[in-house]
Amino acid sequence: MGIEKVLFHTRFRDLAFNALETLLELKQAGLQEVVLTYVIPREEVAFVPYGGYLKDAAEQMEEVARLRFEQWQEFISSKGLRSKVRIETGTLNAKILAVAEEEQVDLIVTGRKKRSAFEKVYVGSHVLDIIRRSPRPVLMGKYMVQYEWAGEVLTRVNDHIFDRPLLATDWSQPSQNALEFIKSFKGLASKVLVVHNIGAKISKGLDVTALRDLEEESKRRLDGYCGRIEEAGLSAESYLSVGKTTLEILRQSREQKATMIVMGRTGKDWFQEYWLGGVSHRVAEVSELPVLLVP
Amino acid sequence: MKRMIFVLALCLMMVPLGSAIARASEAEADFSIHAGRAPNSHFLSGPVLATASPAAVEGEAGAHTAVEADHGHGHPNLGEVLPLWSCIPFAGMLLSIALFPLLAPEFWHHHFGKVSAFWAATLALPFLAAFRGLALYEILHIILADYVPFIILLWSLYTVSGGILLRGTLRGTPIVNTVILLIGTLLASWMGTTGAAMLLIRPFLRANTHRKNRTFMVVFFIFLVANVGGSLTPLGDPPLFLGFLHGVSFFWTLHILPHMLVVSILLLVIYFLLDSYHFRKEGVKAPDDGVKVPLKLVGIHNFIFLAGIVCAVLMSGVVDWGEVTTLGIHRAVQDWVRDGLLIGMGILSMVTTSITIREDNDFTWFPIIEVAYLFIGIFITMIPCLLILKAGLKGELAFLIQGVNRPAHYFWVTGALSAFLDNAPTYLTFFNTALGSFFAGMTEPEAVPLLMTDKAIYLQAISTGAVFFGAVSYIGNAPNFMVRSIAEEAGTPMPSFFGYIIRFSLLFLIPSFGIVTLIFF
Repeated sequence: MGIEKVLFHTRFRDLAFNALETLLELKQAGLQEVVLTYVIPREEVAFVPYGGYLKDAAEQMEEVARLRFEQWQEFISSKGLRSKVRIETGTLNAKILAVAEEEQVDLIVTGRKKRSAFEKVYVGSHVLDIIRRSPRPVLMGKYMVQYEWAGEVLTRVNDHIFDRPLLATDWSQPSQNALEFIKSFKGLASKVLVVHNIGAKISKGLDVTALRDLEEESKRRLDGYCGRIEEAGLSAESYLSVGKTTLEILRQSREQKATMIVMGRTGKDWFQEYWLGGVSHRVAEVSELPVLLVP
Repeated sequence: MKRMIFVLALCLMMVPLGSAIARASEAEADFSIHAGRAPNSHFLSGPVLATASPAAVEGEAGAHTAVEADHGHGHPNLGEVLPLWSCIPFAGMLLSIALFPLLAPEFWHHHFGKVSAFWAATLALPFLAAFRGLALYEILHIILADYVPFIILLWSLYTVSGGILLRGTLRGTPIVNTVILLIGTLLASWMGTTGAAMLLIRPFLRANTHRKNRTFMVVFFIFLVANVGGSLTPLGDPPLFLGFLHGVSFFWTLHILPHMLVVSILLLVIYFLLDSYHFRKEGVKAPDDGVKVPLKLVGIHNFIFLAGIVCAVLMSGVVDWGEVTTLGIHRAVQDWVRDGLLIGMGILSMVTTSITIREDNDFTWFPIIEVAYLFIGIFITMIPCLLILKAGLKGELAFLIQGVNRPAHYFWVTGALSAFLDNAPTYLTFFNTALGSFFAGMTEPEAVPLLMTDKAIYLQAISTGAVFFGAVSYIGNAPNFMVRSIAEEAGTPMPSFFGYIIRFSLLFLIPSFGIVTLIFF
């Protein structure tokens, strides 16, 4: 699995260009082309009972986007990469997914919605929706975020995001897929941190012997994961923890100084996934790091 | 106190205050005294058409007389004391809807809510300052009894029909296109003009991408599916649902079937001839673009929810489970139950329908939000207008009631206004004009059954006028602009506002309405 073609969706918010710049590091992992995508939300220009279709407004928005993308394309070109511009009008998520399908990209990159001071790193519902529905890996970029840790409000800039990816695994098939995907970071990542957490619910009913057996089994599997990563030419370290999974992943990501979290997308059924979410969605929501989810 | 009311009213209404505001203040003073002494019978019993004596109806009953005559009842009849200029916010609201999209579309698109709030406040603040409890009652009554069920119905129909999608390959020939229009016309009364139009407009456009002249197709689509087709049930078009809320029975609208058939057949025949002419002239063959996807309706379980909506509305018109008082407003229990069921149908549709179906339908909440914002303004500002009309010859719109007195008048005046103002408030305006003309002094529950039977031809004229003429301009009915918007987005050139009227409405619709007048009115 390689990352040759990436869809970069933007709403031209602050720091969007910086996020793109960070992404271009993927060239070392084989990136060849970036599909710059901007979706004009339909409700901004059309589908209005008493307002009709604001053709001029649509054309103007398109022109502004095209102009900005031209500058970005020059920059991408200067890095020795190809680029393509897709400006569409429609329902945001549907269009992003449709463009990703048409362009057959290997990765969708989308930024979190700009949030109020109270909401800090929390991402917008549209990004979560893309994560839920995309059949392709989705990277949720978080170039600069504020977050609270140990009672303090901290600001973090995520610029070299591929340096220390943390792979959080639950041994599921999506986790295996994430493991395969992370192999394409060869040449980019200095170390891959492989983390497994024995959930609080699982450990609660076990006696000491059973818990030790579980720990041994988990360590063995972690070693297996690390071995496969190292076989691909990357350096890897494993970490085992016990507790509430989301909190443990966040703790590990901070303590081990991870630069990105990589996970398999929760393999729950449609109802659970859509209405209740899962660990991967929760981590994507609250982590101050970029989160890459692999279906 | 009076000075404060005057100043407030002056600032907000922005018109000279004549003697009428003094009358309003007298009425307020009168109301406050009596309200403190005994329960307000009007507040408890709901609106009446006119409370003055029959003798007063005949003459030039001035506002003073009305107020004085009401002293014994504890409140004035607002319709008799309100000045005509209290309808200015209503006119402003409707003109804003009519003109802003044409003159300042971008401003309108981003600020329509503020415009609606402005006009609502322009009426509500001085109205409340002058009439206090009575005004509050009228505002709450129109919100709870008219606005809330109206929006809930539109929302549920919009939500449920937005979950149905027609997929597949169609080839736009004159016969196929006419059949689509026919199906849309038949569906519109049962899933609303908006729902039917949204279901069919994209397949209709896709079917005709290979055709050169598509503009007339979309125009006839607006005529038939987005307007005329919605005339058979209260679900079809908002004005008819407002009639239902005011006591017109659910199936009464089937009396309009002959009128609807005449217009629909005329338009379908004209369409078929036009399409056949263009089809032959163009000499275009459908492109062979590979795999032909069979036609398929997806999200069809939503028809169950659609049936649920029909049943809920029917139920509320059939059963009588008593009344409950909410914020001092009496509402039938079955009406609340109906509203709850409609919300339930919409939620079930949302939960059970794949998001991709809605996305392929380009479903967004924006249109319904816009309708909700605009109609709160419309409903609040139309209060004085309705009260004056309900007062019959004792109100300041007596000249209108005297001037509009034949079925053809009702058809054309309701229609002409519906063509350029929104057809829902226009329907209510002339519905009340008819009640005030024929049954002044009677309560609405007494008068409406008589209007459906003894004066049925007038109600037919008002109903057909409101629904049919919605097709005359883009602003006559909400789906018109939506269809135009989708067509333009899909690359079909659409005529300008006046181009639409001159090239199509005057040419095809007005003669059809003339024939309807000759046959029925």
